[in-house]
Amino acid sequence: MKKTIITLTFLFTIAFLSFGQVTDPLISSCAINAGPDAKYLKDFRIQLGKAAVQNELRYKANMSLWKNTKYRFTMCNAENSKGQLILSIKDDANKQILSSFDKKTGKIFSYVDFECQKSGIYQISYDFINGQQGSGVGVVSMIK
Amino acid sequence: MKGRVVLLLIIVSFGFSCRNSKSKPSEFVFPQSDSVPVSEAEKLSPEAIADISKNISSPVEIANLLQTLQVPFSQNYIAESIDPNKQGTSFDKALKLGILGADLGYLNMYEKTGSSLDVLTSIRKIAEDIKVGQFFDFESIKRLSKNKSNLDSLLFISIDSYNKIDTYLRSNDRGQLSALMIVGVWLEGQYLATQVVSQYPNKMLSDRIGEQKIILNDLLLLISPYCKRDPEFISLCKDMQDIKDKYRDVRITYTQGDPVSVEKDGGLTIKQTETSVVNMSKEQLKSVIDITKNIRDKLILNN
Repeated sequence: MKKTIITLTFLFTIAFLSFGQVTDPLISSCAINAGPDAKYLKDFRIQLGKAAVQNELRYKANMSLWKNTKYRFTMCNAENSKGQLILSIKDDANKQILSSFDKKTGKIFSYVDFECQKSGIYQISYDFINGQQGSGVGVVSMIK
Repeated sequence: MKGRVVLLLIIVSFGFSCRNSKSKPSEFVFPQSDSVPVSEAEKLSPEAIADISKNISSPVEIANLLQTLQVPFSQNYIAESIDPNKQGTSFDKALKLGILGADLGYLNMYEKTGSSLDVLTSIRKIAEDIKVGQFFDFESIKRLSKNKSNLDSLLFISIDSYNKIDTYLRSNDRGQLSALMIVGVWLEGQYLATQVVSQYPNKMLSDRIGEQKIILNDLLLLISPYCKRDPEFISLCKDMQDIKDKYRDVRITYTQGDPVSVEKDGGLTIKQTETSVVNMSKEQLKSVIDITKNIRDKLILNN
């Protein structure tokens, strides 16, 4: 309940202060829901149709991640999204470092913390579970 | 004879398997050519350019590292000499917009709201001059700056405003201004880190400076299409190439390891055991500190 009030207050503040700025409300709510110690860095807006074939995650971007930094990757789904947003990160050698979807248990994590020890450019991939149609936001923050 | 053939086959196949298992170099190296060919940069798709611009580390990450290391705030690192009324060309304005953006990130992280309002005023003037003022939410940032409990919101709106400017410039055939802004942000972040490390020597911070080698090539790729555009760009490209040259012998090596995952309180934490190791001598670090200061000072004093 308290979290809901804080979120609503934040969204109202942003909406009030922004006067017609075109910031996507899903991005701002996702950024603030990343946690009290999370400092926003970047966001990725993902909108995908249903996949014809389920192979790799379809939305891809590169991002530099730095050693001795703890990142939080938060995934948020739009209300009308059919699928749940999932994340996978690979390093420059195409080795999977993390996934927010546990294939064994079928569990989907809404956020993943990553303690980076190897600076480099990583490939960040998003999709909706089982290649479903969906709309969502991935936010990257730093945490202590 | 048969035994020798089998032995030879084993040796040959072992050799192949070893080579195949080495899926990536254990050391980071620049691409072979000394400079990025313009033709290669021109081939970059808008998506690739957007990707590179997202690649460049945020000055907030540098400021966060400084706070972790308990480095005290210093006003001396801020580019106070930039006069928003004396920026003659779009080149100057876009570059300074980037430099001031990095300063704003540093000030916000240290909650120095009084100074950040001065920087904001300069940003506003310059942004309006290059017709991107509408994307910078000055009033919100100003109000949030006055309330220290809103750091998250402040960082979000500040970074989001810069992202909007970047996207707008790239999609309106003003990619050169976007590239300048990104170079300005990076250069000021690099200046901040190098000035601090010369005052407060620290291995973690000098490593972060050394690790910038990883993204330098991308930065050069970003500005390469414009390197013959005019004397200002020619000079900037040369400066950036000079910085890259100082990194040539900085070595970044990797140790192998598999990530460890821990599930806790409904969340997932991944700890990486693979590590990057920076080998940079004191002389190499000093040359990076010096060249960064020279170039940054030249650019901000050139009003």
